[in-house]
Amino acid sequence: MNDLWRRCLERLEGELSAEDMHTWLLPLQARDADDGVRLFAPNAYTLDVVRNEYLARIQAVLAHLAGRAVEVQLEVGTADGGRKPRAGARPAPAAAAEPEFEHNLDPHYTFDSFVEGKSNQLGKAAAMQVAMNPGRAYNPLLLYGGTGLGKTHLMHAAGNLIRERNAGTKVLYLRSEQFVGAMIEALRTKNMDEFKRRFRSVDALLIDDIQFFAGKNTTQEEFFHTFNALFEGKQQIILTCDRYPKEVENLEPRLKSRLGWGLSVAIEPPDFETRAAILLAKAQHKGVAVPEDVAMLMARRIRSNVRDLEGALNTLAARANFFGRAINLEFAQETLRDLLSVHAQAVTIPNIQKAVADYYQVRLSDLLSKRRVRSVARPRQLAMALAKELTEHSLPEIGEAFGGRDHTTVLHACRTIRSLSDSDVRMRQDWEKLIRILTGQ
Amino acid sequence: MDQLPLSLRWPRQQRFEHFAPGANAAALALLQRAAREDDAPWVVLAGPASSGKTHLLVAACQAASEAGRSAQYLPLAGLRGPREAAIRGVAGSALIALDDLQAIAGDRAAEHALFDLYNRCRAEGATLLFAADAPPAQLALTLPDLRSRLGACTLAPLKPLDDAERRAVLRARAAARGIELDDAVLDWLFARHARDLGALTALLDRLDSASLAAQRRITVPFLRELLAREG
Repeated sequence: MNDLWRRCLERLEGELSAEDMHTWLLPLQARDADDGVRLFAPNAYTLDVVRNEYLARIQAVLAHLAGRAVEVQLEVGTADGGRKPRAGARPAPAAAAEPEFEHNLDPHYTFDSFVEGKSNQLGKAAAMQVAMNPGRAYNPLLLYGGTGLGKTHLMHAAGNLIRERNAGTKVLYLRSEQFVGAMIEALRTKNMDEFKRRFRSVDALLIDDIQFFAGKNTTQEEFFHTFNALFEGKQQIILTCDRYPKEVENLEPRLKSRLGWGLSVAIEPPDFETRAAILLAKAQHKGVAVPEDVAMLMARRIRSNVRDLEGALNTLAARANFFGRAINLEFAQETLRDLLSVHAQAVTIPNIQKAVADYYQVRLSDLLSKRRVRSVARPRQLAMALAKELTEHSLPEIGEAFGGRDHTTVLHACRTIRSLSDSDVRMRQDWEKLIRILTGQ
Repeated sequence: MDQLPLSLRWPRQQRFEHFAPGANAAALALLQRAAREDDAPWVVLAGPASSGKTHLLVAACQAASEAGRSAQYLPLAGLRGPREAAIRGVAGSALIALDDLQAIAGDRAAEHALFDLYNRCRAEGATLLFAADAPPAQLALTLPDLRSRLGACTLAPLKPLDDAERRAVLRARAAARGIELDDAVLDWLFARHARDLGALTALLDRLDSASLAAQRRITVPFLRELLAREG
């Protein structure tokens, strides 16, 4: 019978496009049945496509080859018996079906493995306090900030520490879409009581990326009630969001207001030193020898988020391993050329000057002149500091490019902008926006 | 056990052993590993058309099947029907190869679906492989969460074979079919017909049967006539 199925595929190969074959028919596994063949699809979606688009043709070909009608049974699973090869084939059922409580914290995410810097130390401190005193310190704890900055790491670290201090504690971690999926499943199977019990019986509920609740009204409603129940029961809630929750559109006002009941902490993009430290820590964890100058180079060139740093490190390690080369500065530069966008390599002093002039709507000629009015002087200082940050030029070279200024003037500009960025939110936003504009990250 | 050897079912042409690596040997090694090992790094192949992206992805699916892992290939550009549903639907295999990633850039629903698939496969220990015409940082993705996750994968840039390499590959493939291609024919094929090795290999198969049927040696006039007849 399997031979029959193989011949059927060969026949279909001549009729269907290679893409359709690869996508829908080749992932099927076949097994004999009493008077026909059982086909196993890896997921329900593939099963539906095969049933709707190809089943009639498959039956016709099989009948032709066998000289009699052949019954075809389609199911989700694998031929060697596992009904479902991996957890759930339907979209995001979460762990909805498990009656036993199962911890799903990632043991690698701990406070020990978290690299602390100015951009995230507040978040780390808050997460630790919550872990030492769950349900009492800050409830909810909300960590917000851009993607790939360590919010999920801190969340798991808090969960792991809670469990370490009290092994019996039930800590449940979920991605927001798993919460949505579990709720939809509960509605579908009319099992809302079980859903409620499951989420309200935990000691700590951790939900990642709640911005994806936006616009999902039933989910928000259900989450609102879950939140209230947990809050009243002094059970800890830890959430992450990609921005300050009040700025998330299509999130119910009453939910937004509750999110602000505890503590909201911003996680900022890591600064240069922290990026270098993160890179070295990750390299050590992976057993990859990365010299400090390479770490500095990568931290300077990749400033968007920690995942991009990690991807660069993976790529560098894979290439070094394949070519049998040690990771040194030259090799890293070569690899980064492939890795980074053309954009990121093309940051020059004239680019910076033009971008800053456009951003502040001042004339380029004024930016390069000796005029000292504040409206020009501040953008000029910012442009100098950006030149130091984003290019490899020396202070005297930068001074020269800004109308022949002394290198001490450039140094002063860098220090001024640095200290302003610490104290002035507006300045820090301008700085980050310009970096994003210039590096395309 | 009466189960069909899985490897039989994947195409014979697009296997790892048929991949002419040229400058892409590192990418080949990464995919060979990802096809067999659960915990190998996820890879994003990035390169222009005809640099071997689809070949490597399909070969990875084939090698994974051979190693007893279930695999599925999903061409994001070529899907009929809603892409979001397909992306949400394909979970369940041990290895999933997603081709033409650039096709979903800007399609927020599809990007979100891929973001969910990414997280899910991470959690379930499945392997994801991607191919796109540019590195993730240069794709016009609208979901930063997806972009950063793709950024965390190992990037394997692919370069198309140069002319000499492509001639050598085509000559070898022709020889495997018992066809001898002389330089004049090769010149003509690359200049006039197609530069894409896949298309040229398909042509070889047609040449094979046509020249048998016509009992002719393969020459430029013969080629011209055959192609004219094919219209």
